[in-house]
Amino acid sequence: MSAASAEHVGARRAGTSRGLAAWLIVLVAVLAAGVGVWIYQYIRGLQITHMRDNVIWGLYIITFMYLVGLSAGGLIVASSGRLFGVERFKPIVRLAVLEATVAIAMAAVMILPDLGRVDRVLNLFIHPHFLSPMIWDVTVILIYLVLSLTYVWLYTRRDLAARGSWLALGTRDTSEAARARDERTTYRLAWVALPAAVLVHSITAWIFGLQISRGFWYSSIMPPLFVTSALVSGLALVIILALVVRRFERISFDNGLVSYLGGMLAVFVAVEGFLVFCEVLAGYYPGVTTDASRQLFTGRYGPGFLGVEVTAGLIVPFILMAFASLRRRPAIVALASVLALIGIYAHRGNLIVIGLGKAPIQLAPGTPLGTPQASGSDFAMSSVYFPSGYEIVIVAGMFALAALLFTIGVWVLPLKEKGHGAGGSQADG
Amino acid sequence: MTAEGATTYPGIDEVHPDLLKATRLGMVIDQQKCIGCWTCSVACKEENDVGIGLYWLRVLTVGGDNIDVPSGTFPDLALEYQSTNCFHCDNPPCVKACPVSATYKMPNGIVTVNWDRCIGCRYCMVACPYDNRVFNWRKPVQDPPASLVEVGNVPPRPKGVVEKCTFCEHRVAKGLEPRCVVACPVGARVFGDLDDPNSEVSTLLRERPSYVVFPEKGTKPSVHYLMRFSPNVAGGES
Repeated sequence: MSAASAEHVGARRAGTSRGLAAWLIVLVAVLAAGVGVWIYQYIRGLQITHMRDNVIWGLYIITFMYLVGLSAGGLIVASSGRLFGVERFKPIVRLAVLEATVAIAMAAVMILPDLGRVDRVLNLFIHPHFLSPMIWDVTVILIYLVLSLTYVWLYTRRDLAARGSWLALGTRDTSEAARARDERTTYRLAWVALPAAVLVHSITAWIFGLQISRGFWYSSIMPPLFVTSALVSGLALVIILALVVRRFERISFDNGLVSYLGGMLAVFVAVEGFLVFCEVLAGYYPGVTTDASRQLFTGRYGPGFLGVEVTAGLIVPFILMAFASLRRRPAIVALASVLALIGIYAHRGNLIVIGLGKAPIQLAPGTPLGTPQASGSDFAMSSVYFPSGYEIVIVAGMFALAALLFTIGVWVLPLKEKGHGAGGSQADG
Repeated sequence: MTAEGATTYPGIDEVHPDLLKATRLGMVIDQQKCIGCWTCSVACKEENDVGIGLYWLRVLTVGGDNIDVPSGTFPDLALEYQSTNCFHCDNPPCVKACPVSATYKMPNGIVTVNWDRCIGCRYCMVACPYDNRVFNWRKPVQDPPASLVEVGNVPPRPKGVVEKCTFCEHRVAKGLEPRCVVACPVGARVFGDLDDPNSEVSTLLRERPSYVVFPEKGTKPSVHYLMRFSPNVAGGES
């Protein structure tokens, strides 16, 4: 290596570390703002949100579902690649497992600001009521979190030990035989992790799908729909993160993998679209004008459903990823992934807001809102929900924490598989 | 009996020993009698120190799109009221949903909330098909302050927990009827044991046609509405 090019690399390293420092400062600042508002919310109560007795759940639960989906999707992609011997996934498996771990940890945290009495959260373990789908969810999320952490450790511990890092947690053997043993262990673990990932989002779906009180939710299609949307959003996020992390040379893979993942995204998006269609048709066909599915096309929820969820989130990514020529361009795959991520977030939002928006007993004056209103009635027959600034800042803080954990993970953990080492060919797929 | 030294009101404080033996307390509300005056709702607020903006009991208008507005076109108008509080279902979805058993069914059939255990997740409110539960979005504010109100000694609720009608379990424990029942100026509300065939509620349900809200949800509400003598449909007989 010539002196000049070494200097060039050195300058780029310095630029990267400056950029990293700025990135970390931004994340810590957003996180601090989120924590600050959360403390304010703890003092004032949930009145500072725009949730009320009509729309009882809001952005916190929407984001919780989203994070569970991101996690389940990431792990399903990683473990199915492992199980079914899709060798080409290898360079991104560690990244996908790290993504799944951070997302599920953040999902567990995301529940907390939604609780009116977060100081009593341990009641979930002291007085669990096992008929409640929420207890099923708490249980499976904690099991799944332990599973994900185990996965991350198993995948990285030999390389960590080789570096002499304490994060290897006592692992010293870095021989090829030990690596081969870990290889087999991760394979066996994938047999548990794959169903666990499917289960974690199915149970989250049952929190909604088992409630006969809300017609829009009470449907057996909810778990398949949730698992599919998890695959869409989880894969989309893994694609984006993989492309970003590759730029910083923490992992390497060729563009053939990107276009392969883009093809998978097209398939997942198509299945998601099919399930959404099934759900909407079943709601629409009987011609019951009060059915919540009627609200999807016209009025205030039309843009969110037809515009964001269906057009931007399903149709456009599908068209983009259906053409091999477009799939070959990583920028287009990234665009489709971003759109799919937005679409699934909109799907979560529509589900909550439309499912809860109308008072179930449609008799005037409706449901009491729970706080006196400055103008108008203390009751409402139907409500528009849009999160308050406080809710948005708290959720932004949670996303910043997720990004912080992920960034630290990327910098601390060896994400490159041995044998997929330096360089990274740029061969087209 | 009210607190020591307080006035005793003959109507309010009449003891019904049968209530102490009840296994499925329920209520029958006579649609023929209800005049939609909201006295039950106000009495409930007073008895249970329910904060401003929260309602354990609301009077819904069965008619037009707005409160107190009839349906139909003059002169063929129809109007009735559906005084609505927790239905204390026999198959309560809220009890199933609660992750910490903070809401539960008592042996006498009352569905109640343990305010000291509730974590404020509001899953019970999602599970209730009737929106009969309310949440303390802030520290509850009583106006007039609870200390100025002579009746009612229900413990105060902190912010961040769910609350709802308890059939005045603190009164029932002394053999007293819920406050809305004794407060109703037209006697539209009748309270008693649905498991006792000789109780007034059981007798009324045998003798008069009645309905419950959303029977198709299978929740088996313990609050029944006695139908009006003439069907209340726009253009129907007055």
